[in-house]
Amino acid sequence: MTTAHTQSHQGPLDRNYFLLRRLHSLTGVVPIGVFLLFHLTTNASVVWGMLDSREGEALRERGVRTFQNEVDFIHSTPFLFLVEIFGLWLPIAFHSILGLYYAKTGKGNTASYGWAANRRYSLQRLSGYVGVLFLFYHVATLRWHWTFLMPGGVAWDGERAASTLALVLRGASEAALEAGASYTLGGVIVSLFYMLGVSLLVYHFANGLWTAAITWGLTISQKAQQRWGVVCAGLGVALMALAWSSLLGFMTLDPKDAAAIERSHSGHKGPAMQLGDSQH
Amino acid sequence: MTTTDHAARAAARRSAKPGRKVLIRVKRCEGPGKPSRFETFAVTIERGANIISCLQQIAANPVTVEGTRTTPVVWDSGCLEEVCGACTMIINGKVRQSCSCLIDEYAPAEGDVITLEPMSKFPVVRDLWVDRSRMFHNLKRLRAWVPIDGTYSLGAGPRESPDAQEARYKLSTCMTCGCCLDACPQFLLAESPASWDTSFVGAQAFGQALLFNSHSTGAQLKNDRLEVLMGPGGVVDCGNAQNCVKVCPKEIPLTEAIASLGRAVTIRGFTRFFTS
Repeated sequence: MTTAHTQSHQGPLDRNYFLLRRLHSLTGVVPIGVFLLFHLTTNASVVWGMLDSREGEALRERGVRTFQNEVDFIHSTPFLFLVEIFGLWLPIAFHSILGLYYAKTGKGNTASYGWAANRRYSLQRLSGYVGVLFLFYHVATLRWHWTFLMPGGVAWDGERAASTLALVLRGASEAALEAGASYTLGGVIVSLFYMLGVSLLVYHFANGLWTAAITWGLTISQKAQQRWGVVCAGLGVALMALAWSSLLGFMTLDPKDAAAIERSHSGHKGPAMQLGDSQH
Repeated sequence: MTTTDHAARAAARRSAKPGRKVLIRVKRCEGPGKPSRFETFAVTIERGANIISCLQQIAANPVTVEGTRTTPVVWDSGCLEEVCGACTMIINGKVRQSCSCLIDEYAPAEGDVITLEPMSKFPVVRDLWVDRSRMFHNLKRLRAWVPIDGTYSLGAGPRESPDAQEARYKLSTCMTCGCCLDACPQFLLAESPASWDTSFVGAQAFGQALLFNSHSTGAQLKNDRLEVLMGPGGVVDCGNAQNCVKVCPKEIPLTEAIASLGRAVTIRGFTRFFTS
């Protein structure tokens, strides 16, 4: 009775309510969560790349070269633009828009009930809001080159991946560095915003993975939820370590040194060239 | 409740002296849509006093600490032994039954203050009395019953295993008090019954849906229940804040019930997509 009654009033969104809810949950894990994992690993190569240092090569140098190789590898993906649109931008837009709508249906009450799970509930929503803003800024400035949003008007350049990223986080153009600048106020703000945004998104993914297991009915007993919570927390800590190490790696990188390494690096680019590279 | 809470409450009970005066601060409201205000009453505490006995004292002599004579405070109560849920209210910011709330634990010293407010997610009728009929609406929405009505005897039901009975017993102790809903950040006040068919159901009726889905005769309506749980306001809207299980006075495993229903609707979703 109730079912038939409510269904007669339903629009297409309500009829597919379950599907949309589950797709919202799914897109958070695949592709967005999996992409986050790869993205942070790639970025951190400026740090872990140093472990691969060759004889007579400065640690920093190998980090910059490894990161450049990673970027070149990604940029060599066939139909990259289509992969970006259907694998990233559309899922992120879908997850964000539905997420903002769903978040509006609740009202946090941590002031009265300050239990950990309840705080995580509120932080999940807050990290979603801030995360959407951060992602928009991140993609607009680095991918779409909206340099007017960038202190110093720095544009990220995939051909000089590490040095231009260091410039972005310093908020200073090459010319400004020549004139003796190191970090501008704008650069400090951008760096802090990156620290905050990335940390919140890592949290959002780790906690989302924990709640997704309940939503889909994978973890049922309290013990199972605790066990899965340990796994998610572990993954969150690992991702946080990757995120922070890459940010600190780029923030402490000297753009001039990095640019010099990249200049010597250009010419031996792409996976095919790497084989020749190792014969030196 | 954690063990430290238990220890703190036991210590408070031991230190409490009978005959002390305690201040009861009550959120007053004269009727639906009327503005609310706080009034404070000084009450002399006898050994074993609870919130209800204090409210009875206030009703007998409704004079505030300022000496103003006011109307008696209105509240709802029934069994006075924490099995009916009628006297549920917000005590010092947290929802619970007032009959089982001992003054010695909450206000062990002279002049201590206890604040009483009506539940926040149900329309106020007057003072501490709220209209909780939305919970009954949600039980109807989810058909939370065993369908046995008919014109002839159906005979004995299927044999039930003790394990299944045990699992269901905990769920069956729900007294529809509404603590889980009041503490839930996803369950919001909805004054108009018109929105009750699509607004969030909440842990109370989720527990009952699982109770009757796991009953072999009740399971005849299983898919009907799952359809509602998959729609707007269903179990898919749960945000996993898990306050429900912490405030439940009957310690019903509500979060496990929600996860079980999550699994059931996942399976139902696949079945619906690939089979029916």
